[in-house]
Amino acid sequence: MNTDIILQLEDLVKYYGSGESLVRAVDHTSLQVERGRFTAIVGRSGSGKSTLLHLIGGLDRPDEGRVIIDGTDIFSLKNDQLAQFRRKKIGFVFQDYNLIPSLNVWENVVLPLGLDSRKVDTAQINEILRKIGLEDKKNAMPSVLSGGQKQRTAIARALASKPAIILADEPTGNLDSQTELDVVSLLKSCVQEFGQTLVMITHDETIAQMADRIIEIEDGRIGGKVEN
Amino acid sequence: MKMTTQIAFDNMKYHRSRNILIGIAIMLTTLLLFVVPSVGKSMIDTQNTAVNKYYPTWHAIYPNVDTDTMQKLVLHHDIERYGLMINVGEMMLENADVSLVYLDGNAADLYRVLPERGCIPTQADEIVVSQGILEALGQQADIGDSITVPYQIYRGAGLDYMQEKEFRVCGFLEDTDLSREQKVYTAFVSEAFAKNEIPQEQLEYRILAQVTGRDSVITTGIEERIRNIARQFGIDEKTVRINDEYLAANYVDPSTVPMIAGLMLIIVAAGIITIYSIYYVSMNQRVREFGRIKAIGATRHQLRQIVLWEGLWVAAIAIPTGLLLGTAAVRLIMTSLVRFMAGDGFYFNALREVIANGEAPMLYVWAYALAVLITLCTVYLSLLKPMRTLSSVSEIEAMRCHSTAKKTKSVRAGYTNLTIGRLTMRNLADNKKKSAVTIVSMAITGVLIMVVATVLSCATPRQCADNSILGAYEISPVIEENNKEHPERAWSEIQQNNPLNDTLKEQIERLDGVERVDVFSELRVTADMMGEDWNYLNGIPEAYADELEHNIIKGTVTYEELKSGDKVIMDNVMNYWYPELDVGTKVNLTVHDGERTFEKEFEIAAIGNYRSGLSNYAYFYMAKEAVDALSAYNSSGYFHVIADKKDDAELSQSIEELVLSSGRLEMRTWQQQYAQWKNNMTMTSTACYVFLGILGAISVMNLVNTMINSVHVRRKELGMMQAVGMSDRQLMKMLQMEGLFYTLGTLVVSVGAGSLIGYPVFLYAKASKMLEITTYHYPFAAAVIVSATLFAVQALLAFAVAKSVHRDALIDRVRFQE
Repeated sequence: MNTDIILQLEDLVKYYGSGESLVRAVDHTSLQVERGRFTAIVGRSGSGKSTLLHLIGGLDRPDEGRVIIDGTDIFSLKNDQLAQFRRKKIGFVFQDYNLIPSLNVWENVVLPLGLDSRKVDTAQINEILRKIGLEDKKNAMPSVLSGGQKQRTAIARALASKPAIILADEPTGNLDSQTELDVVSLLKSCVQEFGQTLVMITHDETIAQMADRIIEIEDGRIGGKVEN
Repeated sequence: MKMTTQIAFDNMKYHRSRNILIGIAIMLTTLLLFVVPSVGKSMIDTQNTAVNKYYPTWHAIYPNVDTDTMQKLVLHHDIERYGLMINVGEMMLENADVSLVYLDGNAADLYRVLPERGCIPTQADEIVVSQGILEALGQQADIGDSITVPYQIYRGAGLDYMQEKEFRVCGFLEDTDLSREQKVYTAFVSEAFAKNEIPQEQLEYRILAQVTGRDSVITTGIEERIRNIARQFGIDEKTVRINDEYLAANYVDPSTVPMIAGLMLIIVAAGIITIYSIYYVSMNQRVREFGRIKAIGATRHQLRQIVLWEGLWVAAIAIPTGLLLGTAAVRLIMTSLVRFMAGDGFYFNALREVIANGEAPMLYVWAYALAVLITLCTVYLSLLKPMRTLSSVSEIEAMRCHSTAKKTKSVRAGYTNLTIGRLTMRNLADNKKKSAVTIVSMAITGVLIMVVATVLSCATPRQCADNSILGAYEISPVIEENNKEHPERAWSEIQQNNPLNDTLKEQIERLDGVERVDVFSELRVTADMMGEDWNYLNGIPEAYADELEHNIIKGTVTYEELKSGDKVIMDNVMNYWYPELDVGTKVNLTVHDGERTFEKEFEIAAIGNYRSGLSNYAYFYMAKEAVDALSAYNSSGYFHVIADKKDDAELSQSIEELVLSSGRLEMRTWQQQYAQWKNNMTMTSTACYVFLGILGAISVMNLVNTMINSVHVRRKELGMMQAVGMSDRQLMKMLQMEGLFYTLGTLVVSVGAGSLIGYPVFLYAKASKMLEITTYHYPFAAAVIVSATLFAVQALLAFAVAKSVHRDALIDRVRFQE
């Protein structure tokens, strides 16, 4: 196996329903992602790209196939082991931010570290917050943040635990076009600066063009790959 | 179905888990609201049935009333039912006493002496006899046959010369074992016979009367009515015979009704608090839901209707279930009472029989109606606030309001490092009000449990027995005033010929196992301020000097000073009746000593609180020698036998033999008292704890709701935390800690406040001599049980709730939108 391969999907299958209403959300998909690269997964609504990302992140279990991240077959892990794996190796950025409303910006960012009983490297978190422009919002509660600020908090959270891979599920779906570009640029620069791997789902061609590699999904299968 | 009713019905199904909890709370509320009055009324009815079955049912007999007065008296508005009786004469027989009495049908019924066969005599030559009478007469006859009866008639002051007459037997009375044994019988003759034989002006009726109020729950004042009638017709009150057994058994403690009402109020309060707080805890969630309905055009009235109907739909299922369970519970309680009733004797046997044969009603239509009505009111009252809040939701606010994004501070200093504990604290701090509502509503029941447990733990059967009797045996003369058949039982007679004499004392002291006999003296006293009531000067022997001095609660006096005969300690109980009596008050008492009376002034030197074993309900305490000095006779009122062992069967039997052979003494034993208290306390504690347990179960619904709600509302949030790496174990730990917080909060308030409030309640119980309580015992068992139950419920809940989280796939929870 190529040591630079951080993510490997092997013949992944996820179907919903049965008979006439069978939905092939992910249909025998295989893929490899190299370390340190920004991969965009694009496709129409309902093409199965979100399901694919959830399987990669271990949020959902496949019917068949394997997901190997950093050499670990994640579905061979038990639930608690998988949770631990997620907080160590995977960072998530969701479309609707998914911040914890009762925690302030700082606490949201350090949450994965806290869950992993890791001591917070204050300098590192400050550096991330500075980089994403939320240095003065550390104590702000999510309810008073703008959409862009919330998403940047979510990005900071994804970066905080120095994961092997960051998975972003339409991170700009709820943002206006200017903020959208700002956020993706930020995400990309952070990934580069902190040497991480980013897999992002988007239906926005412009954003996809910012990626090193674009993978198109159609009816649960990989329709095409473009290297930028 | 109207749209609002339909929406309410759908809402009920949609919010199933919460409505199940509300349903359980309503069901348990209904259960208690049904059981408490049903059991209360059924017990009263059982007593009434037992008494009515065996005791004569007249309340009073007005003796020696002439025809004129009789005709007026029976029309008195307070007389509900009456029967007439005339003592006509006696049969002239050597080997038996047979009274000839006229009773009308009512009188025979009120006396429970209706002929077993045949009828009451109406013709001058008719007679009702018994087999025993015929045997005494040496004749044989059946209904319709004639017998010859030699008799004497009461004319003037006494019995007149013998006459003989032929009577036709018209009925037969049943002979009791006692009448056969003693050969004392009664034969019934007619009014016509009486009037033929006794001159009109010498006719004296005995009026058997039931006064009004017989069926009312509270029969206080019946005796007063009886006496009042006597006064109005110039009848000497002392000659009026009152059916004490019947009245005492029928007499319902006036505190019964307020007690039942009080219990029902507590249940209603618990119901309201629980149902309301279940709604309150999930209010945020539902504001959005109702805002949407309002946005599409529902009026405030319609929103109120939807909230109300949702509650009523739940009640429609819960109330019948509660009534069904309640019906079973009432039957179970009443039938188990048979096992618990340890009292011996005629009355208790009758009670047991009545219950076992199901002769008294247990279930009442009104109790069902009452329970339904009060439960519906409870539901309505609990829904008032939610109705107001949810119907006044502003559309815009509601649409904006995210259940998970409550209004919080815009900025807050946070933890640098996060741990599961800190995450839990964050959530609890954000829901301060909800947490407080949950804790307070649960703690109210907890406090109640602790307070009741304090009282119950202070009343241990052993201590109750120790307090209600001194030593192992208590021997006292049978005292009965105004019993014409037993004039020797009057206290004045006893003093002059007291069976509690030195010979008896020596006899008892000689018995094996007897340590000593403590003799208490008594002198009857009356006073103007006490009206017709009398009390006793209680002569306490020196052996109890310490106890006497130690339990003084106001003022000071030594035993030595009490020997002077001028000073008394007054029992605190007297203060309830005569609040004007205080330390330093000088009371002028009329002392009744044998046939003589004299006035004497006593100073109340102190007020004390004493166990009933010491007081024997004689509430002015003096040194024994002082009481003895005041009396010209033997004033011994009680022998308290102090024995080596309190359960020495042989000694008990020896003393009983002495008591029985005297024929004028009665005794109580420590062992009986202990058995009785043990039974009473088992019954009381079981009833209290079952009641409080159900009340507890109602309030635990709160905890269940708060925990389920906290997980439901935060479904997405918890999903999120799991998505970023919270393990199942960590989730479980977090929920456990939240539950633990509620548990600890509830415990601190319940056990803390309960213990604090328990102490003054103990003092009150002690002061009012409730359950013979004298010593404080902390209710450790209750505290441990309450704590253990709460911890167990909480742990189970956290486990169940954490499991329920996993019913949805993680990704569904992360995606979840209200």
